[in-house]
Amino acid sequence: MAKILLVEDNEMNRDMLSRRLIRKGYEVAMAVDGREGVDMARSGDYDIVLMDMSLPEIDGWEATRRLKQAAETKALPIIALTAHAMAGDRDKALEAGCDDYDTKPIDLQRLLGKIEALLGQST
Amino acid sequence: MTDPSTAHAPAPDPISGLRHDLRTPVNHILGYAEMLLEDAEEPTHAERRRALRETVRAARDVLGLIKTALPASRDDIAPEEIGSLYDSLREPQGKILSTMRDLLTSDGGDAAFREDIQRIIKAAERLAKPDAAVTSTAAAAEVAKATEAGSTDRGAAHVLVVDDDEDNREVLRRRLERNGYQVGCAEDGSRALEMLTEQAYDLVLLDVMMPQLDGYQVLERMKGTPATRDIPVIMISALDDVSSVVRCIERGAEDYLPKPFDPILLRARISASLEKKRLRDQEVQHLERVAQIIEAAKRMEAGSYRPGTLADLGARDDELGQLARVFDGMAQQVRAREDQLRDRIRDLRSEIEAARTTPADAETAVNGGNLSTGEAFAERYEVVSLIGRGGMGSVYRARDRELLEDVAVKTLLPQLVADETVIERFKQEIRLARRISHRNVVRTHDFGQWGGVYYLTMEYVEGITVRALIDSRGQLGVPSTLAIGMQLAEALSVAHEQGVIHRDIKPQNLLLDPEGVLKVMDFGVARLAKRQSAITEVGLVVGTPAYMSPEQLLAETVDARSDLYATGVVLYECLTGRIPFEASSPVTLIAKLLHEEPTPPAEVNRDIPPALSSLLVRLLAKKPEDRVQSAADLMQRLREIA
Repeated sequence: MAKILLVEDNEMNRDMLSRRLIRKGYEVAMAVDGREGVDMARSGDYDIVLMDMSLPEIDGWEATRRLKQAAETKALPIIALTAHAMAGDRDKALEAGCDDYDTKPIDLQRLLGKIEALLGQST
Repeated sequence: MTDPSTAHAPAPDPISGLRHDLRTPVNHILGYAEMLLEDAEEPTHAERRRALRETVRAARDVLGLIKTALPASRDDIAPEEIGSLYDSLREPQGKILSTMRDLLTSDGGDAAFREDIQRIIKAAERLAKPDAAVTSTAAAAEVAKATEAGSTDRGAAHVLVVDDDEDNREVLRRRLERNGYQVGCAEDGSRALEMLTEQAYDLVLLDVMMPQLDGYQVLERMKGTPATRDIPVIMISALDDVSSVVRCIERGAEDYLPKPFDPILLRARISASLEKKRLRDQEVQHLERVAQIIEAAKRMEAGSYRPGTLADLGARDDELGQLARVFDGMAQQVRAREDQLRDRIRDLRSEIEAARTTPADAETAVNGGNLSTGEAFAERYEVVSLIGRGGMGSVYRARDRELLEDVAVKTLLPQLVADETVIERFKQEIRLARRISHRNVVRTHDFGQWGGVYYLTMEYVEGITVRALIDSRGQLGVPSTLAIGMQLAEALSVAHEQGVIHRDIKPQNLLLDPEGVLKVMDFGVARLAKRQSAITEVGLVVGTPAYMSPEQLLAETVDARSDLYATGVVLYECLTGRIPFEASSPVTLIAKLLHEEPTPPAEVNRDIPPALSSLLVRLLAKKPEDRVQSAADLMQRLREIA
């Protein structure tokens, strides 16, 4: 089963999304800020990262940039999640290296579609 | 990044932060609700499914509103718009809160389920709590400003929560404290009533269903006690107990709150009640201040107002303050005038005192009259003594058997009242005269006829006439004359205002009581003296023409200024001891009166101030239009001289 790394500082978001993903059969690990997210992604064996963009320590864009710059994590698909929903957010996320982008509130079916699409590509 | 305690970079700009702050709780609500819906598959979960679907629908409504107000393309927003966006969210938010709270009460789900519902509630609460939930963004300050405006007054309002359920008390206490209120809690009705006597509360939240003393009874006692009657009471009740709520509102409860509590409703109703109370308190205070002014006016009328009493009120910036200042200023003037008069009266009193000790006391020298001492005139007035006789009749001091006080009874000469029309006209005049109520006017009581004798009853004044005073003293000093003049002018100004002209002002009609208070007698009585022309009837005419104005002598139109002429003669006589025109016969007197100029009093007596002298000359002008024009004006001029 695919392993998802959820990088999210908001406790309720983490709790809710992780439980919903687990229900759908995924294995979910969680990081609470950008730095922890980068560290875990480097050391762990994850299939995909769900990255919140507004994060303490290192924000989502920077974390993504670092992961995409490092050879060992370059191929790890990253979906950016943001509640800001600004017009330029999507471009900014893709520019930073994200493979896809979604807004909160999460439409679970849509997100699952994006996850599956990226997992299908990488396998 | 909704946790304000976590340090992180600020949002790019206010609108982005606002989007984030609103979308995050919607995300939670939708996420948990959808997840719980997936679990609610049992047939027994119908109610749960309905509630969760409702919540999902409401959360999508919220999202729709956010998207409309804050489209992705938008990068600027005005504070008012933020305010109205939050306002628009209230309805769906309220829906989510009430649906989820109801579910918590009605659904016996397990702890995990309840915890998730609590999470939904918590998230929903954030949709309208910019002050607590989004402090990290620049928008938060704007939002707080926009939504909190006008609610600053609630400050340290004291709220008493009365509920037998500990959880309810706790929830309310915490919520109210978070909103900045001071909260007291009572676990039953008796304790609540006790606490209300210990401290002043601005508002009471009262549970309806309580053991022993229930909410209705507590309310009844509160409304029956003056000290607690005006404290607003909001009833707390389950929604299914509408009839009790109605009963409570009929009994004076301000409002009610359904259980479980909706924080928005709670806040709105509490601040509305407190605002109403604040306005009511303001109104009560205003009325108290008005009452203070009315009280001052009453005291003023009774002569017991002390200038300066309204100083506190006068310091106010509003209309009442202005009224108080004007009132107090006028009171001070009146007081100053009275002080001035009192000084003059002191001199007058000593002259009166001196006159009474001389053997030629006018009052004792009266003989004759038709009534005899001890006679019960008109079966009511017991004659004590004859105190005066004049051209119109006799005046007796008598004891009123009905009222047990002394009155003056004046009998009128039969020839004066022979004619019905004369009597009618006289009655009319007396009716007018009776309207004058002033300390310088002898009160007229009644007019009647007994045994063929027409009579008037009046206030009895123990004192002497100015006639007797002048006769005894020869002449009066300037201060005494001014005291007489000021009081006479005041009496005349009051009478003239009522349309009553005296027509016969002369020293015999002016009484002075031992305190120096002047009383003018016989208002309207002179009307009886029917004269086509006084000159032809001089022999018959009442009294002497010495005090009559030229227009009166010529039977021309008589008005208020004729009384002022007579006043001039009286004051002239007071100062100089003689009347302006003297002659051996009435005919010569009248000729002089009509054609000669009086000698200015200052030329007779050098001690008389020139201003006073020329004022008297003006009063004695032949033509009314050349005189001082009103008694009030005369009063003012005399005051200036004093």
